[in-house]
Amino acid sequence: MSEIVLKVEDLHTSFFTRAGEFKAVDGVSFYVREGETFGLVGESACGKTVTGLSILRLLPEPAGKIVGGKIILDGKNILELSKKEMRAYRGSMISMILQDPMTSLNPVYTVGDQIAESVRQHQHIQDSKMVEDQVISALRLLRIPAPEQRLHDYPFQMSGGMRQRVVGSISMSCYPRVLIADEPTTALDATIQAQYLALFKDVQKKTNVAIIFITHDFGVVANICQRVAVMYAGKILETAKTSTIFKAPKHPYTIALIHSVPRLDRKDDRLYSIEGQPPSLLNLPPGCRFAPRCPDVMDICREQQPPEVEIEEGHSVSCWKVK
Amino acid sequence: MADILLEGRNLKKYYPVTKGLLQRTIGWVRAVDDISFTIERGKTLSLVGESGAGKTTAAKQILLLEKLTSGDIFFEGKNVYKFSKAELKTEYRPRVQSVQQNPWSSMNPRMRVRDIIAEPLVVNTKQTKEQIRSRVAELLENVGLAPNQADYYPHEFSGGQRQRIAVARALALNPSLVVLDEPVSALDVSIRAQIMNLLKDLQGQYNLSYLVIAHNLATVRFMSHSVAIMYLGQIVEYGDAEEVFKHPLHPYTRALMSASMLTLPEDESEEAQPIILSGEMPSPLNPPPGCRFHTRCTEAQDICSKEIPGEVEIGKRHWVKCHQSSLR
Amino acid sequence: MQEKASDSETTAKPVVSGLSRRARIMKRLTFIIPVVILSLIIFVAIFADLAWIGLPDVGLAPYDPVKMSLPDRLKPPFWDEDGSTAHLLGTDKMGRDILSRLIFGARISLSVSLLVILITSFVGTVLGILGGYLGGRTEAFLMRITDISLAFPPILVAMLLAVSMGPSFTTVVLAISLLGWAPYARLIRGETLRLREMDFVAQARVIGTSPFRIMLRHIFPNVINPLIIIMTLQVGLLIITEASLSFLGVGIPPPAPSWGNMVNDGRNLVDTAWWISTFPGIAIALVVMSGNFFGDWLRDKLDPRLRQL
Repeated sequence: MSEIVLKVEDLHTSFFTRAGEFKAVDGVSFYVREGETFGLVGESACGKTVTGLSILRLLPEPAGKIVGGKIILDGKNILELSKKEMRAYRGSMISMILQDPMTSLNPVYTVGDQIAESVRQHQHIQDSKMVEDQVISALRLLRIPAPEQRLHDYPFQMSGGMRQRVVGSISMSCYPRVLIADEPTTALDATIQAQYLALFKDVQKKTNVAIIFITHDFGVVANICQRVAVMYAGKILETAKTSTIFKAPKHPYTIALIHSVPRLDRKDDRLYSIEGQPPSLLNLPPGCRFAPRCPDVMDICREQQPPEVEIEEGHSVSCWKVK
Repeated sequence: MADILLEGRNLKKYYPVTKGLLQRTIGWVRAVDDISFTIERGKTLSLVGESGAGKTTAAKQILLLEKLTSGDIFFEGKNVYKFSKAELKTEYRPRVQSVQQNPWSSMNPRMRVRDIIAEPLVVNTKQTKEQIRSRVAELLENVGLAPNQADYYPHEFSGGQRQRIAVARALALNPSLVVLDEPVSALDVSIRAQIMNLLKDLQGQYNLSYLVIAHNLATVRFMSHSVAIMYLGQIVEYGDAEEVFKHPLHPYTRALMSASMLTLPEDESEEAQPIILSGEMPSPLNPPPGCRFHTRCTEAQDICSKEIPGEVEIGKRHWVKCHQSSLR
Repeated sequence: MQEKASDSETTAKPVVSGLSRRARIMKRLTFIIPVVILSLIIFVAIFADLAWIGLPDVGLAPYDPVKMSLPDRLKPPFWDEDGSTAHLLGTDKMGRDILSRLIFGARISLSVSLLVILITSFVGTVLGILGGYLGGRTEAFLMRITDISLAFPPILVAMLLAVSMGPSFTTVVLAISLLGWAPYARLIRGETLRLREMDFVAQARVIGTSPFRIMLRHIFPNVINPLIIIMTLQVGLLIITEASLSFLGVGIPPPAPSWGNMVNDGRNLVDTAWWISTFPGIAIALVVMSGNFFGDWLRDKLDPRLRQL
């Protein structure tokens, strides 16, 4: 098995506002190996995006703060790095792809310039020919045809799918150890998404990058992630191999979520639905976060938060019912 | 004989592209290019396709938000474009309502929920305040909300609840047809199921017809009785939903289904190899000659780039537009 | 079984203010200080005297602002050795009390501004919404008129009007209003164009709502926010416009004490009787700054993401 590249230990991130402290991430732990794609799945406000931003230390200041935990990259706790050191890491060791390719690219610079900016900054190459070579190889990695001509294009001259690849090129240009992809395919059509995910897999095979894939779409998870963690209201409820999550999920939330997704391979008369809504992060219930909506809730669930228990190798659950 | 509520015949909607000082028309965006479909009473037809396929444009024409370039819409057998203004107001508009995709922008943020739901009644009927008030309460209960929530503003609700309010508003005038444009794609996964179940229940309760615009095939399969797959302004395959999903024939339909299927990596066998299309949907300004899909089709033959395929009927209630010899 | 939504849970997005305590206090101050100043000035304007309830001799102003008293002319403010507490801020060259004129001046300057704001905002908003929503020839026509109005130099037009109609309160209000509606029309039209494309407007059309009702019920309530912001920012601008006109002699006719007049009165005596121009000048500056700070604060507060008034 390949080595562990990134380890997140008991991460706590909160937003401090006039209304109070929003515990966006409340004790999250997971790891990712080289060449592996790890999925962070959950609905809106579950904390998956904030987790990604925390790893990059890109939280909106001064409201957002990492208040606890460790993030260990190749053995080093990056939360201990100075701002300057972190900036060197960002883009070169850890990189991020965001959801909207339209706003991720600067409309007034060419595609080549934007990739070059990353190359120059992190690889300290000044020779323009060398920089151009790097840019072309980054474009080629994401299978952009005719890269030597494309690098002179502006974003508006490219289609949506192509732009998303350019964003990928920028992120991969310095061959990072970890790539965090935050819902990169949500805005894409199904057939383009299929292309894009195939491309991701290809890039990963070539560069051995570890990918943390943040999404709400189980179809994407099934397609590209080897392991996945299900998040809810700032906590991870279940972590397992993808096939286990689909075939033998243990946490009631995971089970409910999987069942509520309509299936293309059969006709359902009615969908399983979970009552109610996710809790407000200001007013979290004292016990298990999912207790108010859980079909299998017990008394203890409402009082105490369940600990994370590894029920078999690689499969851990936070649930009082599962012991 | 099927009870047809609405029929669209040879609908075309082209948008002019102009250039220059004198605004000369140099081309046309063929957003909807000759589509025909029928919606039966009490049943759901879904228009499926990716962005640029023309499905939202088609919906806009049915809602009379724009005027067709050519083609006819028949409502209960009568040609809608021959209705007088008064007839439209009393015969068509109250009977054809809509629920939009974005629950955050489909409601006036300055209006309370009770006014939002009441507006169709205020504009179209002469009911008293009391009558309207009780109707609003009734509608709220129908969609699973409490009547006392009528006093709140939209921003005080979650996305799922707002969609329920949108549905309540659409039902206010007892319509026969509700056009739903991506009704759940902006919602969280666990809320989608709630809303889809609700829509199905209401359909049964009030014998509603739905025209659903969607890009998610699984959603479509759950909701639809008939389905029409659109690509670049045209319908490439349509018919009874179960028929089409069980036996997809058009290469585009197959690719779409493959892209939407939930397959685990270990499950990938020879048959389950994903179909990955190359390139992207061309611009509707300059559609490819012949069959519009031929540039990306894995089964394309010579004839596909030259001739537009005719309609082939496959069994009961299933039609495809494709040159594949296996279909003849 | 009907699908139920949880009726207790409403999840509005959290408002992240994220500022340090010191920054928040400063921000509060930028709201409180202008409000206090503006409130004070409004209070002073209202209670300059109580003539409006029939008590002309009761009020904040110690003297009649137009009463001349030549023996008392050119007295400096009370802290100067030649001044006295009888005239706290001194007197002008006709012996009129500066403080009283300042107080009554508030009334005049504010009345002009308020009236002009009401007229111009009303006209501008109506034309902006009509043009923006109806489009086509209506919009083209209205926008051309707006552009023409914006092209004319306002002071010049005001002067022409004053010369032909003779200077008076009415003339001043008319002069400024004649062109003053154009910036509103332009902005409100822009907002209307944006709102017109929104889903809830399309929805209203699907329901069968008439264009008039859409403009009234859907467009107008949603332009109130930007409208109020411009209105508060206009206060300062209008005070200066009125003051300029009076300064140039085509505004409020003397002996009525508008702040502009007062500045004009002391124009030639700045080196000797500095107090005649300075105090009204300070007053103008205070109101303009307060109006601007308040308008800025309001704009931040009414950020579209918060969407409430």
